[in-house]
Amino acid sequence: MSSTTFAPAVPNRPRTLVIGSALATSSVLMFFGCLFALYFARRADAMDWGMEWFPEGAIRLPPGGMNMATMALSAITMMWAVYSVSNNDRIHTYLAMVVTVAMGVAMLNQTVFYFNDIDLPIDHSEATTFLFVIVGAHMAMVLLGVLWLSLLLLRALGGQDTSRNRDLVSAAALYWYGAVAVYMVIWLGIYIAK
Amino acid sequence: MDTTRAADVVPTALEAVATTTDHLRIGRAWITSGVLFLAASLVAGFLVGLERMDLSGMAVFGDADSLFRFWSAYRVGVVLLAVVPIIVGLATAVVPLQVGAPSIVFPRAAALGFWVWVLGAAITIAGFLIGGGLGTPGATSRTDAVALTLLGLLMVIGGICCTTVCILTTIATGRTVGMTLSRVPLFSWSIFVAGSIWLVTLPVLAANVMLIYVDLAGRPAIAFGVEDTIWEQLSWAFSHPQIYAFALPLIGIAGDIVPVAARRRHGNHQALLVLVALIGVLSFGAYSQTAFDIGTPIREQAIFVVEAFLVVPLVLLVLVSFIDVLRRGVGSRKTRMPAPLYLSVLSVLFLLAGTVLGALRAVAPLDLLERSTTGAQFTFTVGAALLAAMAGTLWWGDLVVGRVAPQGFGLASALAVAVGLLFVAIPDTISGFMGLTDFTGGDLTGAGNPDSGIDVLNTVAMVGSAHLFVGVFGWLVTGALRFRGARSLGDTWGGHTLEWTTETVDVTSESPLLDTTVEVGA
Repeated sequence: MSSTTFAPAVPNRPRTLVIGSALATSSVLMFFGCLFALYFARRADAMDWGMEWFPEGAIRLPPGGMNMATMALSAITMMWAVYSVSNNDRIHTYLAMVVTVAMGVAMLNQTVFYFNDIDLPIDHSEATTFLFVIVGAHMAMVLLGVLWLSLLLLRALGGQDTSRNRDLVSAAALYWYGAVAVYMVIWLGIYIAK
Repeated sequence: MDTTRAADVVPTALEAVATTTDHLRIGRAWITSGVLFLAASLVAGFLVGLERMDLSGMAVFGDADSLFRFWSAYRVGVVLLAVVPIIVGLATAVVPLQVGAPSIVFPRAAALGFWVWVLGAAITIAGFLIGGGLGTPGATSRTDAVALTLLGLLMVIGGICCTTVCILTTIATGRTVGMTLSRVPLFSWSIFVAGSIWLVTLPVLAANVMLIYVDLAGRPAIAFGVEDTIWEQLSWAFSHPQIYAFALPLIGIAGDIVPVAARRRHGNHQALLVLVALIGVLSFGAYSQTAFDIGTPIREQAIFVVEAFLVVPLVLLVLVSFIDVLRRGVGSRKTRMPAPLYLSVLSVLFLLAGTVLGALRAVAPLDLLERSTTGAQFTFTVGAALLAAMAGTLWWGDLVVGRVAPQGFGLASALAVAVGLLFVAIPDTISGFMGLTDFTGGDLTGAGNPDSGIDVLNTVAMVGSAHLFVGVFGWLVTGALRFRGARSLGDTWGGHTLEWTTETVDVTSESPLLDTTVEVGA
């Protein structure tokens, strides 16, 4: 009589890091969701009463458009990074992550320059308070993303980001896409609709 | 030459707590800190109760502004510094064991969440004590201290969210083989639902706080930071329906205790999962903030009213299902029912009372939205969560601490809390119907009329506050006695969920789940 020994069942772990990142990103999106909801509600109310929202000419489209283009391109380079790390393509992974980080830094730089340039005081009106809170919080979100990606870049240089351990890159990418999505609403709601 | 190996160096207790990534230790730290902050919050509540006995004199605080500061500190403290953190602590310790995970996912992030929360809580309390708080009607509070309070609140919310992400990820990805979501124990499921609601609503509260902070810090406020509007913008998080989201895990705690105590399974486990999920959906309260009151106020709109009434039958169904389990099992048990069972059933009854009051508040002709029924509903609902948390610590305490506690003393403490809650909530309910406003400091005529009988009710409520404090002090003593008690033998109650069969292990890895996968797969 023979006996058969079975190996212990392998736990089917879904992508832990990606799930964690999705939960955290959804929280961040709800934070911005509240800010946007309040912004649009107050703006609509002010418009109904015929009141000025932003001072005439204070918000210009080109800087916002440039930032939007930068963020949109960074979403593509982030996808490139995820694709490269999935295929163990280290050179392209380095390149894609460096370019994404550079675009994030460029976006931060453009925003700081623009807000210094327009010289709009934060306590000018309710609208400017909203403007600084929303844009400032988004800058913090992008800065966190830049730091995260920089850390991942160091890991990649150390050979730790491979197709087998790609979840950290995917998790960071999810967060980065969230940052791009938030900026899209800023671009549409603040720079275009004013 | 020093030949001592690093492994031989035993860390001190403080070092162990400060550097731990063990989910049981982190859970204990949450619970202990939460109970201490609860005691501090109840002191604020007691002083407010004392002042309400004779508002014409302002003998305790001296002015309505200080009264308001402590009044709001009590509400914020009980929810964000006490009940929610205690539940988070219980979940941090118990949920990984319940779902068969070797540890909580992202243990360092879970520890980070605790430390951010505890620091934020200390800053919040400091802000309240140095003349800040959440703004006062008389605008005599210090602006910088209000900003400090808001900063503390941001950290508190951040800490809770950080650890909640870890708990939810553990439930989502750390379950053992064969444990589908439909088989997850009720406590874990209720945390999964409630935590999801916290993660989408607490950031909304953080956004409110951020707007106020930015408007307030360093300059005269123009919109959000104007002092008599601060509490108004944040109050949605401390009233119906959002308050149900904080109390939701009590159904899970009771749902795990009742069948084990009665020795009978739930009639339909899946139906209970659905009920919990439905109550969770209905408890989403971020929409009900007054900032959206453009046109018809949100709290007079159909969604608010319908939601308030829908939640009542759902909680009633939960209660009926628990009673059914008890009815079927009552004859089979030869020994006395365990202490946590009584508290579990009581907590669901309190929640039902809270939801009924919530429904009554939504009835416009009764005009109860701004009355002291709001406080009564808060007391019933958060009190229900508190009772369940006490039941949970008595139930899982042997597992979490590894030592036994005197159950009788714990039960007596919890019953003192229950009596205190009734003494506070019932007078507030009655005086609300008599026209007493929720915050009485600004409306002395409504609060101090000696012929109305309200002053007697306020006296009863003050006695209730004292009772509450005594009960929570007893809870603290029970916890202290547990740490000195005999070693636990393991499965104390003959439980049927995984945590009673799982050996707790020392976790030495930062990413235990990933490492396990790699090891098993290798």
